[in-house]
Amino acid sequence: MLDANIRSILMQVRDEAAGEGIQASFLLHHEKSHLMRIGNNSVSLNTSEDLLRLDIVVTDGRRQGSQTFLGAVGSADTVREVLASAREKARLATPKTYQPIPDEVQVTVSEDSQFDIDLADLDPAVKAGAYGGIFSELGEEYNYSGSWSSGAMEIYLLTTSNSNEAYHRGTDQLFSVVLKHPEKKWELTHQQTGWRAGDFDTGRTVAEISKLLPAYENSPGYKVEPGEYTVLFGAPALAEIVEMAAWTGLSGRSWEEKQSWTAKSSPGQSILGENISIADDPGNPETFMFGFDNCGRKRRIFPLVGNGDLLSLMYDSGTAARYGREPTGHDTGSPSLVMDTGFGPGDPLEAVMGMGRVLYIPALHYVNIPSRSKGIFTGSSRFNAVLVENGEIVSPIFSTRITDSFQNVLGNAAVISSRSESVNGSNTYGRRTPVAMSVPSYMVSEGVKITDSADSF
Amino acid sequence: MTDPDKIRKDITSNIARISSEGADYVDARYYMEDSSETLVLYDGDLEANDTTVQSGVGIRVLWNGAWGFAATSDPSGIHSCFDRAAQNARTASELVRVPVSMGRLDPVRGSFSTPVEVDPFTVDLKDKMAFLTKLDDGLKDDFVLKRVVYANFMKRRIHFQNSEGSEIRKDLVHTFGMMMAMALDTDGEMQRRSMNLYTTGDGSAGWELMADPKQFLENTDRIRSELAQLVRAEPLEYGRRTVILLPGQGHLQVHETIGHPLELDRILGYELSYAGGSFVDLDSFGRLQYGSEKLSASSYGGIANSPGSFGFDDYGTPERDYLLIDRGLLVNALTSRAMVNEANERAGRKVFKHIGGAARASAFYRAPIDRMTNVNILPGNDGTLENIISATDDGIIVDNPVSWSIGSNREHFHFGCEIAWEVKDGRRTRILRNPTYQGHTLDFYRSLSAVGDSSTWRVEQVNNCGKGEPNQVMQIGHGVPVVKFDDVISGERK
Repeated sequence: MLDANIRSILMQVRDEAAGEGIQASFLLHHEKSHLMRIGNNSVSLNTSEDLLRLDIVVTDGRRQGSQTFLGAVGSADTVREVLASAREKARLATPKTYQPIPDEVQVTVSEDSQFDIDLADLDPAVKAGAYGGIFSELGEEYNYSGSWSSGAMEIYLLTTSNSNEAYHRGTDQLFSVVLKHPEKKWELTHQQTGWRAGDFDTGRTVAEISKLLPAYENSPGYKVEPGEYTVLFGAPALAEIVEMAAWTGLSGRSWEEKQSWTAKSSPGQSILGENISIADDPGNPETFMFGFDNCGRKRRIFPLVGNGDLLSLMYDSGTAARYGREPTGHDTGSPSLVMDTGFGPGDPLEAVMGMGRVLYIPALHYVNIPSRSKGIFTGSSRFNAVLVENGEIVSPIFSTRITDSFQNVLGNAAVISSRSESVNGSNTYGRRTPVAMSVPSYMVSEGVKITDSADSF
Repeated sequence: MTDPDKIRKDITSNIARISSEGADYVDARYYMEDSSETLVLYDGDLEANDTTVQSGVGIRVLWNGAWGFAATSDPSGIHSCFDRAAQNARTASELVRVPVSMGRLDPVRGSFSTPVEVDPFTVDLKDKMAFLTKLDDGLKDDFVLKRVVYANFMKRRIHFQNSEGSEIRKDLVHTFGMMMAMALDTDGEMQRRSMNLYTTGDGSAGWELMADPKQFLENTDRIRSELAQLVRAEPLEYGRRTVILLPGQGHLQVHETIGHPLELDRILGYELSYAGGSFVDLDSFGRLQYGSEKLSASSYGGIANSPGSFGFDDYGTPERDYLLIDRGLLVNALTSRAMVNEANERAGRKVFKHIGGAARASAFYRAPIDRMTNVNILPGNDGTLENIISATDDGIIVDNPVSWSIGSNREHFHFGCEIAWEVKDGRRTRILRNPTYQGHTLDFYRSLSAVGDSSTWRVEQVNNCGKGEPNQVMQIGHGVPVVKFDDVISGERK
């Protein structure tokens, strides 16, 4: 739980600031992170971080300033110094043309339903042991790499708007292993996610990679020529497409500023296929659940797309203030996106039986957006991608580029899995902020544009 | 973290302690200061007015050929941080098939300071705002829907020390800036035109770079004018044609398809689980014709005032100026000490004769990995931009990236740009919108048919290069001239 001394210090300085009439928010982020990296069948890095960050935002009329401090918060004077810096920045700032919406913790929250002490304290030796086990199960003749990030984080938010407190504590992990053939150069991967130590199972990774190994070992690979194909997207690829579609099309800012592929549509109008429904659901246990956002607003299920129709847009506090809207609890790193499942069988290969040639692309590499306005994305296949004919894996495919629109790919879904899967979308660039999406375990789209392919994996 | 002298003494004693316990190697990076300031004017509103202040120590221990790393921002926790790094290394050493070998190097003592006339952190916020507001005013026009002006300043004071007796002091300052205007085209789609702060390779990198009238202030009219033409322009049609890259686009081409594939840790397979691998292998050096004979590329390039210049890397190795590609032939990579040793051992020959000095960490709490420094294309002999245009029958000139997507081994790519100028029969004819081009790296560089002279060369700055796990964002420079490639697929198939 939150260090009692730090809590006391923050409350003290918050009360002092409120007494002086300062409008301020205090966001404390504390993480204990561990990451083991594997390269060339060895632990290439074994790293621990124990970091505490304090963000203070001061709003002075229409002026705002913020200061982030990374270090030890051992005394009230440290917090007062950070507050003074933020206050000075606000004083010197140019005023905005609109009135910022003050941060306010709407209700006192204390949540730790996704905290697991076993994962928080996971011994790195367990990770090394698991990787070693995978190497020996799948064969030492391959080249292995991977990473396993795990850790605990807590967030504590106070504002001078009221005396409410918002506290979140959680754990998360993202495991990956990549198996590469040293001569043939193809790569297979498997990932696992979760918030409990017990969510990880070595046997699952061994089993999933073992399923694909024969196809890779026994085929030289297939070069896909440009054209339109039926593509079976795996959960990681689908999650990436949905996340990009939401980022570029379902955020209030993109829409208000006519930068999004939804800019010409209004709520209620059709933007995707009738079998596509997407929501931000911070209560879905396949996501990492956050009950409040960084401005203190309560987060609740928020429908975005229903049966293909645009339902609503996500407004962070700044965008809402600028455009005269209500904030929707989206001052977060990423929403908890949930795409509804469909009616397809659990086995993706069964779903494409009778469909002829299908490209099975489980994951996409390096997706980017050549045109937000048109909703065009591009990215290439990487791991585990295969050519399927009538439900049978025929051959792995070389690195293959898709350049298509969200509207086409999510508008021509022929089959959507009835089973959901959690896809971890976290990165470790900045502070620990676990993100996961719940998406169908696969989706089959027709008429997907393949625009290029390499001569190798 | 206060009292730097005490912290340095603690570091010295702990390095000795961990070494005496059996560590192969120990180093520490103490960030006495790591500050950044970000200012964003969005339609004239100050949307970001943020400062970040951090300090701390990152400890690396090599134990039986395995790395352990730990970091702390708590001055009272340095002793235990060394213990944690050592324990992490011991744990890692339980699963080591390829032990890390550092070789032996003489101790290095030195210092590096970014050349700066005016420390941006000493400039009053009011003065910064007045400058940025003036830029914003310059972008205003009736047809302009959105304006963005961005400034980012970084300052780091770093003390490095290792168990071999090396001690290095670095004082780094980086100044980044960008201005952008956006407007709707005739189809109701948003177009943009922007410009980033760059250097010429000479001079300094402080506030004076931002305030230099030749940079932003003298370019607001051009940005508006080009955007005005862009929103009325036709889209680029699909086809094969010559593509001329201005440095605003060429630097990203170099970054993604020369810089990343030549990072030695990628080549050796240490980035497979995240960033990817490389089509280059150890047999490629001295043998692979990477591009046409017009292509020569270097690392560092002796450019002092770039974000890719740091004097000594985070192993304590001096940054070196050397060729990566010599008249089309691949000759070297972006290398660090441990990777050079491993590569030479694996190859059974001395593929790399020197250490490149390219190991960098983004913060005290991250371990160094192989990164780009300044990865540059050397100026050529094909004259000015106008000379190159006049020698082009059918092509486009493109500038500034909108999107970039690259295959996992950097073998193929797809780029979207802000703007294209059509070239017909040696003349610029009209502006075209939504330009994209794609290609395969080796074929692309082998089609390099013209390289501009030094009048076209400038150092573009990149402040958002992502790599590594835990992920690290790094600052980099790219000195590039105007470059021309033939027979490139551009535009999108209907």
